[in-house]
Amino acid sequence: MADSELSVRWPAAYNTLPKDVFYRRDVYDAELARIFYGPEWHPVAHRSEIPNKGDFKTLQIGEAPVLIVHGDDGKVRVFYNSCPHRGTQLQICARGHTKEIECPYHRWLFSLKGDLLGAPGIAEFSANFKKEDFGLRELRSGEFCGLIFATCSDAAPELTEFLKGTEDYLGKALGGDGRLTLIGYQKTIYGTNWKEYGDNEGYHPPLLHRAFRLLKWQGGKGSNGVTEHGHKVMEAEVQRPQPGFLDDHSLVEFRDTSTPPRSVIVSFWPMTTIVKHMDVINVRYAFPLSPDETEVHYAYFAHQDDSPELYEHRVRQASNLLGPSGFISLEDGAVFSRVHGGSRGLGTVAFQKGYADKPLEAPCFVAQNDEASNLVRWEHYRKSMGFARD
Amino acid sequence: MAYIAALDRRDMEGWLSCFADEAGYVCITRENHDAGLPVALMMDDTRARLKDRVKFINEVWSGTFEDYATRHFVQRLDCRAGTNGRFDVQTNFMVSYTNRRGGSDILVTGVYEDAVLIAGNDARFASKLAILDTVTTPRYLVYPV
Repeated sequence: MADSELSVRWPAAYNTLPKDVFYRRDVYDAELARIFYGPEWHPVAHRSEIPNKGDFKTLQIGEAPVLIVHGDDGKVRVFYNSCPHRGTQLQICARGHTKEIECPYHRWLFSLKGDLLGAPGIAEFSANFKKEDFGLRELRSGEFCGLIFATCSDAAPELTEFLKGTEDYLGKALGGDGRLTLIGYQKTIYGTNWKEYGDNEGYHPPLLHRAFRLLKWQGGKGSNGVTEHGHKVMEAEVQRPQPGFLDDHSLVEFRDTSTPPRSVIVSFWPMTTIVKHMDVINVRYAFPLSPDETEVHYAYFAHQDDSPELYEHRVRQASNLLGPSGFISLEDGAVFSRVHGGSRGLGTVAFQKGYADKPLEAPCFVAQNDEASNLVRWEHYRKSMGFARD
Repeated sequence: MAYIAALDRRDMEGWLSCFADEAGYVCITRENHDAGLPVALMMDDTRARLKDRVKFINEVWSGTFEDYATRHFVQRLDCRAGTNGRFDVQTNFMVSYTNRRGGSDILVTGVYEDAVLIAGNDARFASKLAILDTVTTPRYLVYPV
């Protein structure tokens, strides 16, 4: 089916969305091309996940496998994880260390910079074969506070432009300066469409998450909005929860005295989210597996300046607080798949809280417990996909 | 066996009663464990946290998550007697799950490395470490393994 034939009926009302974008295969395939392989940037690693020269990590952008390599010159490069000869995946483990990159199929050998060093039988190749044409295919990449971004598209703006309006939040979420230490992963698959996974908002937390009520825990002053490239940013002062409900109150204690108690979230369009909540520093790499499944890798970090006590506190808090089975976050996963189940019910859905019957302009900031700013993302989505309103 | 029976009944008080007064439970992926990365999927490394786990499931999350029934299949690999009634036990496990729509699949598989205290007819865990071969779980885990 040609792209131009893709048709979605988009309601005229600005706060209303068609449900079929959450499960249609043809829409999903077009999303891969127009969004994931289109002019957007994607966080793929933090430098602390591959701290040494020769360290590598694998991930996906959309469904495309990528290989992130810490080169022997100190530069981090992002390649398609696919041999330029016959397409074999070059690395298959999540993380590892290597001196060179060798394809197992025909033993083509590449440097950590992606240059083809040699190929067995090269004398019998086509007379036109040039080694320099067969290096690993490299993606455009850039770095902010140690977080590595990559894009599949030459049409993507410069990374600094893409990040506009998130820098302050991102810096705070990444421990101030990005000098982090990896402390582990939690990985799971949610039975939901990638857009449902990414559509959380400020309206639900005190309602869905019973933990906030049980702890008599309320958010303080802050900001909540969406940038012009569709990134959600949120910062809130957080009051210290009252002891009493938990036997181990340390799960919800702030022990990092280097920053004020606050919660900071940057949710990049299209998917990956960076969260600093309590003393947990968390990057949630996410990618779609199909219209109905989203895989999320929760990567957790400590700061290089942490005392041994603070390091241990971060490990214990990261393990039980914010992940797929976290005290205050498990219900998010539960509603992701319940929303997806309900999206099959034909018709439309609509955002209400904070919506004043008129289109919103990016950057758009709303009250902390409003949901309307997500509509700015949806407008970005609609335009990226080329869907016309009714 | 009391342990897996309690979990398969979704009886969290029964689960808690399988642990000694001072005990801990940690459920971690092999990926983290083998790489020396300490973050776990569940780190209930004190009595207080074991009790909190029961509260999470029975009080905090109830009514929101999509429930599932498990069956734990275990196979003891090794059992070594220590001192003061302590035994170090290694056991393979495989856990199936059945969702509300009736479909079943494997949830996780891995190995337990446990310290068991035996006094008379009473056997309880001093520590229980579940190392999951399963790195990416097919759904979010609600119950301990």
